[in-house]
Amino acid sequence: MAMLSFERKYRVRGGTLLGGDLFDFWVGPFYVGFFGITTVFFTFVGTALILYGAAIGGTWNLWQINIAPPDLKYGLGLAPLKEGGLWQIITVCAIGAFGSWALREVEISRKLGMGYHVPVAFSFAIFAYVTLVVIRPILLGAWGHGFPYGILSHLDWVSNVGYQYLHFHYNPAHMIAVSLFFTTALALAMHGGLILSSTNPAKGELVKTPEHEDSFFRDIIGYSVGTLGIHRLGLFLALSAVFFSAVCIVISGPFWTRGWPEWWGWWLRLPIWS
Amino acid sequence: MKTTLFPVPYYQNLFTRVRVDAPTYPGVPLERERDTAERTGGIHVQALAWFGNAQIGPIYLGFLGVASLIFFVIGFTAIGWNMLVQVNYSPIEFVKQLFWLSVDPPSPKYGLRLPPMNEGGWWLFSGFFITVSILLWWARVYRRARALGLGTHIAWGFAAAIWLFLVLGFFRPVLMGSWSEAVPFGIFSHLDWTTAFSLRYGNLFYNPFHMLSIAFLYGSALLFAMHAATILAVGRYGGEREIEQIYDRGTASERAALFWRWTMGFNATMESIHRWAWWFAVLTCITGGIGILLTGTVVDNWYLWAVKHGVAPAYPEIWGPVPDPSVAK
Amino acid sequence: MAYFRIALVAAAGVLASALLAGCERLPMDTSQIGFRGTGMEKVTNPRIQAANASRHEAPPALDPADSSGPKAAQVYQNVKVLGHLSVGEFTRTMIAMSNWVSPEQGCVYCHNPANFADDSMQTKVVSRRMLQMTQEINGNWKNHVADTGVTCYTCHRGKNVPEYKWYADPPAPTAGRMLGNDFGQNKAGKASVGNSSLPYDPFTPYLLGKDEIRVTATTALPVNAQVPLKQAEVTHGLMVHMSEGLGVGCVHCHNTRAFAEWSQSPPARVQAWHGIRMVRDLNNVFMVPLTPGQPKERLGRTGDIAKINCATCHQGANKPLNGAKMLTAHPELAKPPGATVRTSALQAGQSAPEARTQ
Repeated sequence: MAMLSFERKYRVRGGTLLGGDLFDFWVGPFYVGFFGITTVFFTFVGTALILYGAAIGGTWNLWQINIAPPDLKYGLGLAPLKEGGLWQIITVCAIGAFGSWALREVEISRKLGMGYHVPVAFSFAIFAYVTLVVIRPILLGAWGHGFPYGILSHLDWVSNVGYQYLHFHYNPAHMIAVSLFFTTALALAMHGGLILSSTNPAKGELVKTPEHEDSFFRDIIGYSVGTLGIHRLGLFLALSAVFFSAVCIVISGPFWTRGWPEWWGWWLRLPIWS
Repeated sequence: MKTTLFPVPYYQNLFTRVRVDAPTYPGVPLERERDTAERTGGIHVQALAWFGNAQIGPIYLGFLGVASLIFFVIGFTAIGWNMLVQVNYSPIEFVKQLFWLSVDPPSPKYGLRLPPMNEGGWWLFSGFFITVSILLWWARVYRRARALGLGTHIAWGFAAAIWLFLVLGFFRPVLMGSWSEAVPFGIFSHLDWTTAFSLRYGNLFYNPFHMLSIAFLYGSALLFAMHAATILAVGRYGGEREIEQIYDRGTASERAALFWRWTMGFNATMESIHRWAWWFAVLTCITGGIGILLTGTVVDNWYLWAVKHGVAPAYPEIWGPVPDPSVAK
Repeated sequence: MAYFRIALVAAAGVLASALLAGCERLPMDTSQIGFRGTGMEKVTNPRIQAANASRHEAPPALDPADSSGPKAAQVYQNVKVLGHLSVGEFTRTMIAMSNWVSPEQGCVYCHNPANFADDSMQTKVVSRRMLQMTQEINGNWKNHVADTGVTCYTCHRGKNVPEYKWYADPPAPTAGRMLGNDFGQNKAGKASVGNSSLPYDPFTPYLLGKDEIRVTATTALPVNAQVPLKQAEVTHGLMVHMSEGLGVGCVHCHNTRAFAEWSQSPPARVQAWHGIRMVRDLNNVFMVPLTPGQPKERLGRTGDIAKINCATCHQGANKPLNGAKMLTAHPELAKPPGATVRTSALQAGQSAPEARTQ
């Protein structure tokens, strides 16, 4: 049954959004639910299409497999299957699967009497994906602006889209997003390290307390955000990083067509010093 | 009176509604009396109480901390002074041009020798002082953990970041035989360096350690979002009291674990999630440093390296053959 | 509480407006350059294109002239380049030149009105050389300008001096001091490198000198001599200028996943390669030798003459004047009559410049 020692008492009925009791069961450790069914459906179809795309793509090399979006000439219409149509259907399946996953997380949260923070956080990531493959292509008028599905090929897309703007590092939203990503990694190392240092103290020492944790951070940097605060901070940093990443790409093209260094001209032209 | 910022039916554990005002907590007593006396300050900023602790300070001064600060101020001032001279001491121009100003490493012709001060010497000077400052700070982080009887996990995590910093500014330039390879001190200029690095070495996206580092960086954001959201979601069961939940598992940890087990089929524990977290963040810097160190020393063009190892995808040709004009004869 | 809420919303609104104020708006024009999904695409703002459209318009051609009758060299004195034209054609060319270069001053910008043959005005000496340069471009640099070619208007656009040119920079005032070396980069507001902090003079080494632009290694493992990392910044600076000068992104000439690979680059890269060699040639053979005798206002801060870069002709369009073929109406500019005139020996007191190098 693959249940943890304390799990049985938590496996109760209820919390579903759709379908009532019909899909309210587990398969092994996995909760199913209505959205588990839809997840499996979209995943199965999407994966099958990816495998088909790989098969007609000429290589099974994991790094080189590439399923490309349509030419720009197809605009926002449906392209022939082998000319990008496959990419479009896979994208629909991906959005369906991610959305189903998020709603399944909602059902699981409800069943466990938890807040919805996890599915809400996940929806930021889904938002970033949708920005890349739906929102920005719609704004630019063609599905072909989406990124290809391939391990190395999607990096080639990033490179080329970035260099369209001559020096993408100067994109202010990109600068904010990168700073937030690095700060998230820093904060994660600090938080993980702090908990581990309290519960795995020096040899012969007793497990420490939150007072020790606060004292440590106040000693080294003069401030300790606290046990609850660090989780709010971490969530804020991580979600902001993802949010600003989505912003930085959606403005590139739809709301800015020149080199990004040129954008900084507004600062140099401020009336106070020009 | 409205008590919520946004219309929700119940409390979301994002902002503290009842904010405690308490006497300044001086910190866990340290073994030596004079160590406890090193702690100074301690104020309350109630605005912070919405989010976390309101208390700022006391901060532990100590020899290592003060020494680190002195070295840092010297290095930082050297950079700022050079920038000020670049704009002819005009404070307005300094603010206006700040993001463009920079203190650069020496020209390649000096190799690893000491250049004249104004030909890269100031870069070496500032780099040295800031590096010493960082190493002293590392020692401080280690010492303060030991003094409180804590494990030294944060210090070792910091060490990974210092590894990356030293690779960029010291180890790789030494292996390449030239200080000119190092990163300049400047906002836009260090970004120019990053692009130049990728241009020079055949597209850094094809560097497998760069791929790993990014995977761990994005993974860190993913993990922190997952973990933080989970803890906030079980806040009503005291989930943020992680230490106690680790040695005496309560319903918060149980629900948190089951959430993930039911979602993705496996789960961590209240302790092990912090190990996942620490390793992902630390591996970001470790693999990143390796990737930088291998560039130019072991691999000269990452795209060609990837082609050699069968990793680079091929795209259909849509133009005719485009020959290199310099060999077209 | 309510005030806090209002203040928060107001602050968010101000911040958003401030950031968006610098932006453009939809809809945009897009075109595909490479294989689908590679991200090699071009996004342009039609409103910016329209605002700049008048800059790229070619003026209408003058009516053709009568090609019969005596040649200009027989009728006029001191005609050295266009003597083979009929008087009618010759006059037509002169009128076109004054329209293109000196519409306000007319003929007297170059000519002594008392004696049109007189070479006393520096502008006449320069423009004779410019005629030769134009013929040189159109005759011997077809690998860059093809049959479209250039006329005086391509660079001058109705101005005495082309709007886009470059001069050498004087040594930074901080060189030789104890502090504050800017290393020839790290300066705000340098249009030469698109407002970035890259080295702001990529022209002297690459468009006057013959320094190697390529920086990427040609082997996966380091077997050849190492190009220093700083060199890549200078190359990047030149490339930013080329992009800004032509109003294109990097993907116009490159698949950026492998900048150096010619097999993956769009054909425009070959033309750009020749363009760089052409500009070097023109600067060294034609522009720099014209320096002596120039009035002060025509010289830069180091006493050097204005020199050509990509923006001089292109002025923000990837084909100058959007590809208008002005040359068809002026075959006399199409190529040098007879042998290539590489030296400026026609200018009195000049020593011959360097021989042509590739």
